[in-house]
Parts: sequence; C-alpha cells; structure tokens
Amino acid sequence: MVDVDLVLFLVLSSVEVGAAYLVIASRRLVHSVFWLFVTLITIGGIYILLRSEFVGLIQLVVYAGAVPVLFLFGIMLTRRKIMEEPHEAK
Amino acid sequence: MAQAGEQHGDAMWINMGPQHPMTHGLWNLRVRVDGETVVEALPEIGYLHRGVEKIAEVREFHKVVVLTDRLCYVSSITWSHAYCLAVEELMGITDKIPARGRYLRVVSNELQRVASHLMWLAAYGPDIGLLTGLLWALRERELFLDLIQALTGQRMNQNYPRVGGVRNDIPATFPRDCEKVVRHFFKKLEEYESLFERNKTFRMRTEGVGVLSKEDAMAWGVTGPNLRASGVDYDLRKLDPYDAYAELKFEPAVARGGDTLARYLVRIEEMRTSCALVLEALKKIPAGPYRVKAPRRAEGQAFRRTEDARGEALFYVCGDGSDRPYRVKIRSPIFCTMSAVPTIMRGNKVADVISIMGSLDVCVGEMDK
Amino acid sequence: MSGHLIDLHYYVESVLSFLLGFGRDQLHGIGTASPAPLGGPLYGLGDLLGAEWLLVLLTWLLVVTVMVMWGTAVNLLVMMWIERKFYSRLHDRVGIKIGLPSMGFLATIPLLGGLFKNFVKRPSHLGTGFLQNVADGVKLVQKENLTPKSADAFTFHVAPVLIATSSLLVFAAIPFSEGFAVMRQVDLAGNSTNPLGILFILAAFGLAPIGILIAGWSSNNKYTLIGGMRSAAMLMSYEIPIILCIIAVVILTGSLDPFEIVRQQTVSLGEAVPALSLLPPTSSAPLYIPNWFIFPQIIGFIVFFVAILAEQERIPFDLPEAEAELVEGWLTEYSGMRFGLVFGFKWLRALAGSSLLVILYLGGWTGPAIGTGLSIGQVGVFFPPQELWFMLKVYGVFLVWVWISWTFPRIRIDQILHIGWKKLIPLSLVTILLAIAMRGLGVYA
Repeated sequence: MVDVDLVLFLVLSSVEVGAAYLVIASRRLVHSVFWLFVTLITIGGIYILLRSEFVGLIQLVVYAGAVPVLFLFGIMLTRRKIMEEPHEAK
Repeated sequence: MAQAGEQHGDAMWINMGPQHPMTHGLWNLRVRVDGETVVEALPEIGYLHRGVEKIAEVREFHKVVVLTDRLCYVSSITWSHAYCLAVEELMGITDKIPARGRYLRVVSNELQRVASHLMWLAAYGPDIGLLTGLLWALRERELFLDLIQALTGQRMNQNYPRVGGVRNDIPATFPRDCEKVVRHFFKKLEEYESLFERNKTFRMRTEGVGVLSKEDAMAWGVTGPNLRASGVDYDLRKLDPYDAYAELKFEPAVARGGDTLARYLVRIEEMRTSCALVLEALKKIPAGPYRVKAPRRAEGQAFRRTEDARGEALFYVCGDGSDRPYRVKIRSPIFCTMSAVPTIMRGNKVADVISIMGSLDVCVGEMDK
Repeated sequence: MSGHLIDLHYYVESVLSFLLGFGRDQLHGIGTASPAPLGGPLYGLGDLLGAEWLLVLLTWLLVVTVMVMWGTAVNLLVMMWIERKFYSRLHDRVGIKIGLPSMGFLATIPLLGGLFKNFVKRPSHLGTGFLQNVADGVKLVQKENLTPKSADAFTFHVAPVLIATSSLLVFAAIPFSEGFAVMRQVDLAGNSTNPLGILFILAAFGLAPIGILIAGWSSNNKYTLIGGMRSAAMLMSYEIPIILCIIAVVILTGSLDPFEIVRQQTVSLGEAVPALSLLPPTSSAPLYIPNWFIFPQIIGFIVFFVAILAEQERIPFDLPEAEAELVEGWLTEYSGMRFGLVFGFKWLRALAGSSLLVILYLGGWTGPAIGTGLSIGQVGVFFPPQELWFMLKVYGVFLVWVWISWTFPRIRIDQILHIGWKKLIPLSLVTILLAIAMRGLGVYA
C-alpha cells in the first residue's frame, strides 16, 4: 500500500540535505560541526536502508564518531577568541 | 570555584579561590599558567583576618587564651599553649610550673597534634580524589576528639591551657582509654598505609610533585613537617625543649625528597610519634598540683616558640605593667610557608596545584590571624 | 545449560496481537451493528487495527520501550543503589536508608494502608535505601532548569539529548539473554543471531564524545570547555584499546554476533583447545570448564577492563568531571533534570560497559542450570534462567568497578593519556597477535 522504503528514504534524505545546507549556512562554526554530525548519521541511516548494514555501521563508527570530534578539536585549539563567539558574528 | 581570569600574552592567570570546593579555608591563589605548566603563583591572603592581635590588647592576659584557641581552630590546644608559655616567660614563672602541669600539657598537645594531622588527611584525600580517605580519617579523629573531650570537656576550641598550668586534671580512666585508642589507631594506620602509601595511583599523584629543596625550605623560613619532609632535622621539641619534652624520648620524623609524598610520610610518622609520646607521658606523669596561680599584671617583653602541628609557632608578648598585654605578636608557620609557595608551585602541572596546596596543610585561621 | 525466560519479541507480539485482534473483532462487531453513516468507518477502523504493519510497528515500539524501561527504570536504580550502599560500607558507614518506611503517607491508601500503619510515627530512615535515588530524581525534576544567559542556547539544550541518546542507543544491540534483546533474528536452527551486533555497540559508544564536547563548549565557560576537551580526548584515546580487544575476541570467534560469541563460550575448554586432549585424562568424568574467553585472552580482559573503566569516566579516570579540581567539569552549568539525565546515565553506560565485558569475556548469560519441566511457548524454563546469570555477572563486575573507584585517587590527565596510549594500546596489539597465533597455529579451535 505504502512504499515504506520510499518514505523512509525521502525523510532521511531531506534531513540530510537540510543538515548539509545548515553546515554551510550556520553562523557559528560549532553549529556547522553539529549539523555535519547529523548529516553523517543520516547518511549512515541511508546505507542501512539500502540493506548494507555493515557499511552503515562503519560510517557511524568512523565518520559520525570521530570526524566531527576532530573538527571540534581543530576549531577549539586554533581559535583564541572562542568564548566571545556567542556575542559576535562568525 | 575557579573564576575566569585575564589573558596576558600566551599565559593565563587563573584564580583558585577564595572559595575552594575543598575546605582549606579562605585564601586565594593566583597561578599563571602556560599551557599545562604553572609559571608563577601568587597567594593572596587576609580573607580571614579577624584582628586577633588587636583584640588581645584589650583583654586580660588570662582571657586571651580563648582568642588564641581560635587562631587555628583545628589545632587549638597547641596555639593556646604557645601563648601561655610566652606569658609565663614574661611573668617569670616558667620554673614554677608544676611537673604535673607540664606533663599534662604534653599529653594534650600531642593528642591535639594527632587530631590536627587526621583532619589534614581527611581534607587531603578528597583533594586527590580519594573520598574514602575523608571518612576513614574522620572516623579515627572522632576517637581522639572523644579523648580530648574527656580531658578538657570540649572537642574543639577547648580553652584548656592556662597561664601557669592547665585547666583541670585527667579523669581516672584516662590512661586506660588512651591506651585502647592508641592500640586501635595503630591498627588503623596500617590500613591507611594500604589505602595511601601502597596505592600505585596515590604514588603517581604525589611522587616528585611539588618538590621543595632543602636550601629553599631553609631560605624561605618553612618550618614543621614541611621542613622535615625536605630532609632538615629541625624539631623544636628536641632543639629547644619546653614543658616535659626534655624528659621524654622520641625521634622527630624526617623524610628526604621534599615532595608531596615525603610530606605525607612525615605526618603519618608524626602521628605515631605523638601517640607514643602520649602514652609515655601518661606513664611518667608525677602526682601533685597541675597549676600555679599566675600574677595578674606583667611588665617587660618575652617570646617563646613551640612546635605546633604545622611548624614553629612563636608568640612575642609585651606587657606594660597593666593586666592586659601591650602587644601580642604571633608568628604563624603557614604565613611563612606561603612565601615559599611560588617556589614550590613553579614547574608543576595545573592539576597538581590542589594536591600540593593540600599537602602543605594550610590552616587559614593561623595564617590570617 | 540454561534457557532464557523472556523472549521479548514473542511476548510483546503475542500480547499485542491478542489485544489488537480483540479490538478488531469488537470494532467489526460494532461496525456491522451500527447504522449506515457510522458503520463503515468503524468497520474500517477495525481493519486498521488488524493490519499487519500496525502490529509490526507497535511491536517494535513496545519492545524498545520495554528495553529502555529495563535499562533505566530498573537497572539504573539498582546500580545506583548498589554503588551507594557498597561505597558507604567501604567508608565504614551504613549509607542511604530512605525506603518504604519513609513514606508514611502510604498509610492513607484505602485498602493496603493498614500495612504501613507502623511507618507513620516512627523515624523514616529505616528502609533499604532503594527509594533514595527516586527521591533524588524527583528533587532534580522540580529544580529550575537554568540556562546561562550567554550560553549558546541551541547546543546547550541539544547536548544532553545527544549524550542521553548515545547512552541509550547501546541497549538496542545488547542482549540480556537469548530472547531478551531488541535486535535479534532467529536463524534456521532456532538460534538467536544478530550479525553485526558488536559493531553496533561500538558505533553507539563512539557517538558519546561529541555530545560531551558540545556540552562543554556551549556553557560559555572557559573551564567547562577545557573539561569537555579533556573528556573527549580521554574517551577517544580509550576507544582504541576497546576496539582492539574486541577485534581480538572477534578473531577468536570469527563472528561479530554477540549471540554467537556467547554460544561459543559454552563448549568445554577441552574441546576448544585440541592441545589439552594430549594430556592424560585425570578421571573418568572430566571437569567441565567453560570456554570463557577470559582464559585465552587474559591480557585482553585486563586491558578491556581498564579501558571500559576509563570510558565510563569513573574515578580513577574522572578528572574531566572532578569537583575539586581547578577546571570544573563539563557539566557544571547544567542544573535540574538536564543535569540529572546526564549524570544518571553514567550508570547506564556502566551497565552497557559491564554487559559488553560479560558478553565478550565472561560467558554472557550461560551458567549451570536445572531444568524444570515447565515451558513457555516452545522454550523450556530453567532455573536459574539466563537473565539471572547475566545480571549476576554484570552486577559482580560492576561491584568490582565500584570497589576500584572508591579505593583509588584520581589520575592526572597526562598520566591518563600516558596509560592509554603507551600502555594499553601496545598490550591490546599483543593480544591481537596472541589471538591470531592461537587461531593460526591451531592451539585454539
């Protein structure tokens, strides 16, 4: 009756595209990293939807688990005025 | 709680205090940190200044004991005792103190010293994360506070030493009670060893941390267990004996290394020594009066130094012929150790600052007077 | 061998299908008996209730709910109680004592109130202490949820959600017995299987550091930022020995399936190690030592034990969130239930870590059992059932962790990283080599 695969794919991919847009559109760098995290998780979800659970889980372990953390470390260790960010523009 | 500090170039000033999460009293330590290493440390004291020296000028000689009790509230008897000794020197009645009074002073001093060191241990454990140490040390301290209460009627701020002797005699069962407590305590000290000394993590946190070299310690005027931990055999109970210490046999605890572990070991050994001293004094105590009536008025000046739980406590008392002191000057050991704090702190990591501060046994009451 | 008592999917599905079928029949009946404009939709509603997809959806939702309830409502409270009572005894004191006797108001219940008559006037601190954690939770719920004015509101609110979610996500793949699991398929031979379970657990563990880092940053506090960074650094460094030790076990078993790993630990050690059969037989009935992977992988067990302890941020590894240190912990600015959630889920992570340790090294839910003649569904009931064995082992491991936590001081962050990188990773590489050698040389089947 309802193509569940299609519905799920549409939901996941719209979240992913939206999050990807927010990665580049966010005013604050840490928000960008957070949306990158969401993007990577939903990509993992799409892999699982395509019946490749192994690749999806590896995506979660390697990408979603490690890459945003590395980005955040990179941001926090290189920018000196990190704590004034909430008051001023990026 | 740490508050935000300013930034100067690459290094950052951080305020540790005046409110500490761990109860070391009310003082501020500003450390300048470069990355993880402490580059400079500046203590800021005086938050607990109560004007004890000034108040002492308006109270009679005998009534100042109540004030000096509260100088270091963890180690009250030793401070009042030091004051009484100085006033007795001023009045010239030092040789007239009866023998029983002198021995009783030794007993009360040593019991108070053990209670003070146990309070230090109870505060030091949580500093490095060993919360079990807090409860074990406080449990043992309760026993000694019970003994002190049986002797003086009060657990803390006892108002026990008097100019001319002590306030009251020991109860009949006191020697037996002391023996029971000391026997139990020595067994517990072995448990403490397994929790602290033989604990690999404890050694990792304390070995080589906060080193104070012998020369630095002597140059800055550090005294007490902090000095003995740097390898200097300097105990005023041996060098300049007062009361009955000349007649008692004991060895001051000295350790080498000058690091936090050495300071810990010295205090543990001192607790053992104090317990042995208490038992020995109670055995040798002669019968007789325990107090002599001291005159109301005094004139002149005198000073006396004693070995407090934290170092050399010196009282310099001036009288001008009235029944109130003209001037009471207090030399507090921790006040002098504070000047050595930058030397100790430099080069250590930020996470060790609390561990080092705890190991110095800072009592803000005596530091700020 | 023991049998499982709870087959989660089967129970939930049968209860739901009964309820939904009952609803459908009733609605069909009402629908045919109702007048025209109402009858059709009611009949259609009955059809909806009987639909296959609704049954599947509700089954999955309810299974996940039951697992989350089991993890949080039951085990969280029990583990917090165990910890608080045990460390109180280490401290030579009694510990928490708020229990049913503290609830004197229970005497006002209509029927059962008579049981609690005694508790009205007596002192309230007489119970076992089990309700203390509930009381703490209630206290946290009624506190004000403060948000610092200059904190980044979006990430400040999202970070606890991330941390809570990643902590709960692990429970989707951890089986508590052969039937009590969320992700579980049944293969042809009737055994439970979950082909990529261990990988899922690793993924869920790996998602934690980012929530902590974002929480530390968003509080607009220099010191929570440093605390969050230290915490993330510690968590990521200790994930590596965990993954390497898991790899070693997977090499020994050849499968990422937690059910298969536990099943392979039921054979006797004599069968698993062919070399042992060369020894002369000691008696006619040889002793059955189960093939728990702690025996060939003792180094891996120790490394994993320490690494999971660090991953849970317990003392001795809790410098990032220590109260007394210079840098306040990363969750300083959180108050109220946001703090309670993050703080309480520390025990959930303890449960997850401890379950993983038991599954990998200590034989999971297997243990000697006596079969009773009864059976539920197709499965025989054994005593003690698998769930009981599993929880006993999990609580035992947790107890050892609590013991360690309250006996050791905190380790400094540079010493923590030194241990993680310079001591644990080489040891875990050694255990991988040993596992490969054992498999390759045929010492281990």
